[in-house]
Amino acid sequence: MNDSEQAPIIPEEGEVGFVEYQDFVSKEPFKFVSGGKLPELTLRYETYGHLNATKDNAILICHALSGDHHCAGVHGIEERKQGWWNFMVGPGKPIDTTRYFVICSNVLGGCQGSTGPGSINPQTGKAYKLDFPKLTVQDMVKAQSLLIDDFGIDRLHAVIGGSMGGMQTLQWAIDFPERLGRYIALASGARHTAQAIAFNDTGRQAIISDPAWKQGDYDPECGPNQGLAVARMMAHITYLSDVGMESKFGRKRRSGDESKEHFDVEFEVESYLRYQGASFVSRFDANTYLYLTKALDRFDLHSPESLDVTLSAVTSPGLVIGFTSDWLYPPHGNREVVEALLRLGKDATYAELAMDFGHDSFLVRAPKLYELIHRFLTR
Amino acid sequence: MSPIDKKRQADFQVIAQWVEPGERVLDLGCGRGVLLEYLKQKKSIYGVGVDIDFDKILSCVKRSVPAYQGDVRTILATFPDGAFDRVIFSRTVEQLDDADTILAEGLRVGKQVTVGFINKGFWVNRLCTLFKGRRVINEVYPKPWYETQPTNSFSVNEFEQYCNARKLVIENRAFLAGDWRSECSVFPNLLAGYAIYDLSSFD
Repeated sequence: MNDSEQAPIIPEEGEVGFVEYQDFVSKEPFKFVSGGKLPELTLRYETYGHLNATKDNAILICHALSGDHHCAGVHGIEERKQGWWNFMVGPGKPIDTTRYFVICSNVLGGCQGSTGPGSINPQTGKAYKLDFPKLTVQDMVKAQSLLIDDFGIDRLHAVIGGSMGGMQTLQWAIDFPERLGRYIALASGARHTAQAIAFNDTGRQAIISDPAWKQGDYDPECGPNQGLAVARMMAHITYLSDVGMESKFGRKRRSGDESKEHFDVEFEVESYLRYQGASFVSRFDANTYLYLTKALDRFDLHSPESLDVTLSAVTSPGLVIGFTSDWLYPPHGNREVVEALLRLGKDATYAELAMDFGHDSFLVRAPKLYELIHRFLTR
Repeated sequence: MSPIDKKRQADFQVIAQWVEPGERVLDLGCGRGVLLEYLKQKKSIYGVGVDIDFDKILSCVKRSVPAYQGDVRTILATFPDGAFDRVIFSRTVEQLDDADTILAEGLRVGKQVTVGFINKGFWVNRLCTLFKGRRVINEVYPKPWYETQPTNSFSVNEFEQYCNARKLVIENRAFLAGDWRSECSVFPNLLAGYAIYDLSSFD
């Protein structure tokens, strides 16, 4: 049967252009799930588009582990790199800034301007470092809700996120069901697999065993760069796929065979990963990496009782998107969330995209993903 | 609506008559979600569609029909007994590689199972095989065999034999003539182009 339906006509795309970040500061003490407290907190964020008079057109985007609040546009004319989800956010794009007011904040515990282990504790005048409270995804979401309060927004049109952002998105739907109209979680799941925890811990061990880590008490100028770079290199492998790496790098060589053995870059893939490690060190804090990966490993919608009990709080329609080549947050982990929601009689949809880019597929522009998000937001 | 769409939606009215308002309905092989959208409008059901094809799920999203992209067997296994009032197989059973097991699963998950299928015993199908030596190609199934999914089609009699063999209760049955619109009241195995059954298991 020919069941093709005409694709919707997406208007011509524009760019959000130059953007600036803002800082939201809450002077109230912030209490963590663990019981720990911060005397005050800052969330760095960016917005795109305009909040309407009824304040019901806002979309919150939650970023992934190594992402930040800068998801669209550029900061200056010399900046070549656009925000991490630039293809998705902008005028005429699926998250259309001519319709929606888009907010993206750096996560609590982060290192790109929001309060995290590297921030100065106003009570002591020193950085928190390992005194930063034990962090959970629930805490991240609670902090974001304060920012949403500050905008005077009662109800978001949608919350959207991939990977760690997808977990925050699910947490939003559970913790603040009345505050979101719909949600989209990409490449996420109800909890980490043993394999995901194993990779995270190997990364953490690389940092912790770097002598420069000093029990977390390093000078930000000379932190455990070696350990953090290795952690990033390894994590980066888990974001890609076998097929994707093979087609991108194959066995391409940087240098030819030489008579003497050496351990410099020989294969193209080595060069790529070393570059990823080195550039990550320049923008990321090792303690934040430890805190965030721990928060992700502990995230578990199956506890304290069961996935069904946890998800019974959800009231808004949801879309969960899995990617066939994602072996870090595999399709079955995404599906499981929707299966539970459907058991509970909720409005939930599971869609799966066949893409070769592994876990990072959600960061790759693909017409089908584009259309899916566009349709779900406008349905 | 185009005539083809109208024909494709042949079983909608019959199914809608059998569905109680507010039912929980699982549509296996839901396609574009048109049946569920129809039942939602007519009977205020809570409906979930299942389809293996991404583009079909995309259409369901457009219709605000909750949908699950995946294998029928996988999703059925995740539901407890009696999770739905009705599980619908509308022109889906023919495509299943283990129809017996999956229908039994449907009867576990749904209090009732609705099956709609094209009757292989319909006289036109027989004559086509007899005189042309090939299967029917028409506006609903325009493609030759080599461009389509494997299809395990069966007749009204064969389906009734199956229900007997598995001791299923036939709660309702409806037959449509070759135009898939007018009712067919006699010799359904020969004269019905389309058959719809409502089944439940003995309790």
